[in-house]
Amino acid sequence: MEIWIIFTKIILLVYIAIQSAQANVSHISWVVLAFLVYFCANITIYILKNTTMKRVLYVLSIGILTVAYLSVNPLFSLLLPLTIFELTASFTDKKLTFLLLSLLPILYMKASLQPIYGLAAGVSFMIFSITSIYGERLMKNEAQIDSMRKQLQKLTKHIHENSEYIRQSEYTVKLEERNRISQEIHDKIGHSMTGALFQMEAAKRLVETDQHKATELLQNAINISKEGIENIRLTLKNMKPPTEQVGIHRLKLLIDDFNAKQPIKTVLTHEGNLDIITPIQWKILHENVTEALTNAMKYSHATQVSIDLKVLNKMIRVEVKDNGAGTEIIKKGLGIIGMEERTAAVNGKIIVDSTHGFSVTTLLPLGL
Amino acid sequence: MNDCTYARSFFFYILEADKRIRGERMNVLEIKNLTKKFADFIAVDNMSLTVAEGEIFGFLGANGAGKSTTINMIAGLLRSNDGTINILGKNSAKYSRFAKMNIGMVPQDLAIYEDMTAYENVKFFAGLYGLRGTELNERVEEALEFVGLQDKHKSYPKSFSGGMKRRLNIACAIAHRPKLIIMDEPTVGIDPQSRNYILTSVRKLNEMGCTIIYTSHYMEEVEEICSRIAIIDHGKIIAEGTKEQLKSIITNTKDVWIEVKSTEKVNLAAIKSIHGVEAVSVDENMIKINSDTGVNNLNKIIEHFMSSQIEIRSLLEKAPNLETVFLTLTGRNLRDQ
Repeated sequence: MEIWIIFTKIILLVYIAIQSAQANVSHISWVVLAFLVYFCANITIYILKNTTMKRVLYVLSIGILTVAYLSVNPLFSLLLPLTIFELTASFTDKKLTFLLLSLLPILYMKASLQPIYGLAAGVSFMIFSITSIYGERLMKNEAQIDSMRKQLQKLTKHIHENSEYIRQSEYTVKLEERNRISQEIHDKIGHSMTGALFQMEAAKRLVETDQHKATELLQNAINISKEGIENIRLTLKNMKPPTEQVGIHRLKLLIDDFNAKQPIKTVLTHEGNLDIITPIQWKILHENVTEALTNAMKYSHATQVSIDLKVLNKMIRVEVKDNGAGTEIIKKGLGIIGMEERTAAVNGKIIVDSTHGFSVTTLLPLGL
Repeated sequence: MNDCTYARSFFFYILEADKRIRGERMNVLEIKNLTKKFADFIAVDNMSLTVAEGEIFGFLGANGAGKSTTINMIAGLLRSNDGTINILGKNSAKYSRFAKMNIGMVPQDLAIYEDMTAYENVKFFAGLYGLRGTELNERVEEALEFVGLQDKHKSYPKSFSGGMKRRLNIACAIAHRPKLIIMDEPTVGIDPQSRNYILTSVRKLNEMGCTIIYTSHYMEEVEEICSRIAIIDHGKIIAEGTKEQLKSIITNTKDVWIEVKSTEKVNLAAIKSIHGVEAVSVDENMIKINSDTGVNNLNKIIEHFMSSQIEIRSLLEKAPNLETVFLTLTGRNLRDQ
């Protein structure tokens, strides 16, 4: 923004230079000197950051210009408005003040100079106002873009974390399922096949000598094979991924982790049918429990925390309660607000009670 | 009433009639995102609810849950920090006179003048709502008769019992025939006779067309008279609905415990086969039958016992009540420990 003011000053200086050269003023060296001194003073302003120093230099520039006006060339006064604006801008925002102050010098000038001074003042004012208004707007927009960029980063990170969690859950589920199948194959079907095989081998040996016995053994083998096929069918039928195990399993892991890291003893109790809790509800419960446990660790001075999960008929209730001091008044920090938002996203509710130790109850609706 | 108010009420009457013809049912009260903070303490936390015409709506919650604060904001006695309250479709902050004309408030702390007679008290409050002349006197008489204090209209409140004072308060609240009556813990510290009177009056008022909001921490009352209930805790509504809906949050089964003389002839399989029975168990002389709440199979169960000639000593039905619902959801009791 300052660059436009600098350009305007340069234009005015060039005008003064050409005017002086054309008018063939006697002491051209003085003009040049005034030029250079003013130039130096002005450039220094843009280099410095200290406001007081800047103000001093503004006043100095005004001084130089006045001297130049009086003794060298009256046209130097044309540069006054801009410097006056810059000086006033560091004190106040009222544009009218700028204009009035800049018009003040008119009173002290020769009549012939007044129109051109007026013109310079007016145009300088326009340029100054426009650059400052648009300069401010630009800065505001940039700040907004900045904050939006930060938010975008945060959200992207969140999405990444979510996809990571989904991926991990999938992996864990797959592992557990594979485990289950291999176990059942080993336990049931493997044995059945082996048993049936023995019976058939024995039957083969006896088919010549003792037909009756051989038939018996073959019948056994048939029975065992039928059972085996039935088992295969059941094993394959039980293909439902055990999400409830991942859910409660992960919760237990969280708690074991917590127990291991610090001295507060944590106990988990649960009742009701955990199967009907959906993955997203599990996620919310995990996050709320983690948050509540972290708070207990940081603030409560408690020695025990109990986590109770109840699946009711139409609601899930999870209460994290510690035996600490509790507080009189609950201040809603970011943690609690986070829990509220998370829970509200699935139409749930949070109750925070601090009368007997600190307790956070999460209520999530079921079904619908 | 002067001409202006006549004109206005006529206008509203036409609007109302129009809505009724078109089948729109007006919500008497609509609260959206209501919040109230006292310094750092959040008394009412982003509460939203609607009360339809003709309901007896109960606020059930422990002391300090935020019931009175919410009520005071609805009645216009307390300013909210955030949120809107609409009474009969109009914003109560913008149309405060309209809102107040249509509300009758029976506060928790008695609001009657000890140095005026009962009659004068009701007349004073009715007068505030613009009633004048013969109409005023008629309404005052009506109100006193309704609460059963017509014989006491020349007596002073200091001779009244707690219950009578409360009834006087009710009379003050109903004289101007408001559409919405709010009662804040009306039966706290009241003798049982007055209490019954109050509960009956609430029902009568409802039958006459008033919508009633009733707050209490006494579960029995709320269960007895309210058509819809909101359970409030720590400034939030944690559950809302009819009694049955609230109970069904916890469980959809109920227990019947039958004490028998001897368990010899008891056939568990036969009992289990009765429609609706989920489980049966025996505990010494007690047969515990767990059934679906949706099925009313008590008759069939008793029939079975009678036909098998098993002597029933006692029968107890154990279904969750609102206190259980509150306890299960919040982990705390409705009443202070």
